[in-house]
Amino acid sequence: MKILSIDTSCDETSVAITEGTKVISNIIWSQASQHASFGGVMPSLAQRLHRERIDWVINRALLNCKLQIENCDRIAVTVGPGLAIALEVGISKAKELALKYNKPLIPINHIEGHLLSPLANKSHISLPAFGLVVSGGNTQLILIEKIGKYKVLAQTVDDALGEALDKGARLLGLGYPGGATLEKFTRVGNPKAYSLPVPLLDDKIRNRFSYSGLKTAMFRLVEKEKPLTKEKIHNLAASFQGVAFKHVENVLSYHINHLPLTINHLLLGGGVANNNQLRKNLRKLLKSHGITLHTPYSKKLCGDNAAMIGIVAYLKNKNTKNINAKLEDIDRVPNAKV
Amino acid sequence: MEIIKQNTKTVAKAVSVLRAGGLVIFPTETVYGIAADATNLKAIEKLNSYKKRPIGKSYSIAVSDIKMAEKYALLNNTAKNIYKEFLPGPVTVISQGKHKLAPGVESEAGTLGIRISSYPLVNQIVTVLGRPITATSANASYMRRPYKISDIVGNISKKQKDLVDLIIDVGKLPRHEPSTVIDTTIDNPAVLRQGDIKFNNENEILSTSEENTQNIAKELFQKHERFVGKRPIIFALIGEMGTGKTQFTKGLGKVLGVKEEIVSPTFNLVLEYGKLIHIDAWRLQSTEKLKTLGFLKMIEDKNMIIAIEWADRVIKEIKNQREHVLIIWVKIKYGKGINERFINWGVI
Repeated sequence: MKILSIDTSCDETSVAITEGTKVISNIIWSQASQHASFGGVMPSLAQRLHRERIDWVINRALLNCKLQIENCDRIAVTVGPGLAIALEVGISKAKELALKYNKPLIPINHIEGHLLSPLANKSHISLPAFGLVVSGGNTQLILIEKIGKYKVLAQTVDDALGEALDKGARLLGLGYPGGATLEKFTRVGNPKAYSLPVPLLDDKIRNRFSYSGLKTAMFRLVEKEKPLTKEKIHNLAASFQGVAFKHVENVLSYHINHLPLTINHLLLGGGVANNNQLRKNLRKLLKSHGITLHTPYSKKLCGDNAAMIGIVAYLKNKNTKNINAKLEDIDRVPNAKV
Repeated sequence: MEIIKQNTKTVAKAVSVLRAGGLVIFPTETVYGIAADATNLKAIEKLNSYKKRPIGKSYSIAVSDIKMAEKYALLNNTAKNIYKEFLPGPVTVISQGKHKLAPGVESEAGTLGIRISSYPLVNQIVTVLGRPITATSANASYMRRPYKISDIVGNISKKQKDLVDLIIDVGKLPRHEPSTVIDTTIDNPAVLRQGDIKFNNENEILSTSEENTQNIAKELFQKHERFVGKRPIIFALIGEMGTGKTQFTKGLGKVLGVKEEIVSPTFNLVLEYGKLIHIDAWRLQSTEKLKTLGFLKMIEDKNMIIAIEWADRVIKEIKNQREHVLIIWVKIKYGKGINERFINWGVI
């Protein structure tokens, strides 16, 4: 089953063609610079740019795999969460195509896309599984009971992980969003050079992530260390990122130990899933519990992209013969939850 | 298209090609790049056809030193510090451009990416040329990064080859990552005129915890609750990162009975919780942009409570509406102790 999918939830205009869980074509036009992978929307241009570019991106996606829209069986589109005016561009284009080519249209949640993105090109993994979505807009630890049935175990009460890394970078004078820059500098920095407080150490139920306290501690530390030299920046970056990740590991560890279920897999998705240090730390933690870490097979699938939307649309509807969603019922859901 | 090895005449030859509006493929500390005179419109158009770029994508430039950078862009303190610590090197710094380059080099928002290469040949070419060159990789858009000339020549059409005037081939480059991009424009300070906001020093309260900040928000709301239904109430929050603007809004959420978790709106810009709207103006490039978020529509409902973080960035637009809304300015500052904050407020 071939699906053409569209995602305009944020500042990337993306269109993909997928067949089953296989990605045939996945075009992303980024409005941010290529390294600013989890910066968030620039509303000033978002809507206009999405409008100007969506046709070009659709054509490019089809051209890449030498297909026509007629060859696709279904169309899928992100309906939320995201910036309303940006979502709208993708949704109205998807409706237009669905009508013109008489294809069923499937509305998809963006976070669910990140959640299941590690399943791209995979055939099957045993459920229940853990899902960890870490991006600029979301930090959620989810129990995937089955495809379409999820339980949120922990989520952020202030900043998302990607956002916290971006803000840490900004405190170091690395611009915004600077999470990816921060990561580069952590490779040469010493994560033990400075001590920062790991968030929510005395939390009893571990159902939340919080970065407000770490941000304050970082602000104070940076003020104390000014003027910043290259070496200080490297060490501060490494220390900050190390603690931000430690917090995620702590929360995850709690749920591994307390869930009365046998879980063998964890799916990691979202822009921060690109971070090699995070992958390394998680792999180490999970290994001691016999859990396998699954990440999207390419960097492109970690950031915002339409292929993950196509994959969810397939997984949720592969046994459904007729898609009955009425076009007029499909609308944007800026605050959508999984 | 001519391919040459590097020798004593390479720089002069490259410069004469660039002066004539030609394209030069050259080695850098990251990958092979393609240079055009960034001040020459014809050269940039030629580069666009080579790169097969859809319109609207910008180019980074390479300059010889910070002095040349300042000729073409406004460098704020953040930018200057990065130049000092990290350049020359594989870092591209984005600043506000001065619109002195060929159209299409700066981004649509008028920002400009600048590099100072640590690869001597690049710097020599720019120094002799006396103006910036484009610093973009020599592959066509959506093709792989070029570490050797065959990566390029093997992947482009005859038409593209004909557009290239000169190739400087130094063999295979060591595999380095592309340059790190640092956007400093967010640190351009919001311009505050004196008298823009009036605070009453008697209204200063010390908060010693996040919970404390939430309670202060609650009390401030209750003090003005009588306006609900008569006018929308705007809490215009001003304060450095990490001072607790989101904590303050959480307090508003509590008193308004919001059941959902109130989280930072930095990424989404606007988050709505029934009658409470939470906006982050930090990344809005100018004050009018508040309108693009639907601000005017929001204040049509007289029951609305709107919390705006980084309100100092959109003061003008907020003040324009002062006849229709009640504005409560809230300034939060770091105190001495780690969790201490001074909260100051005033009403227009």
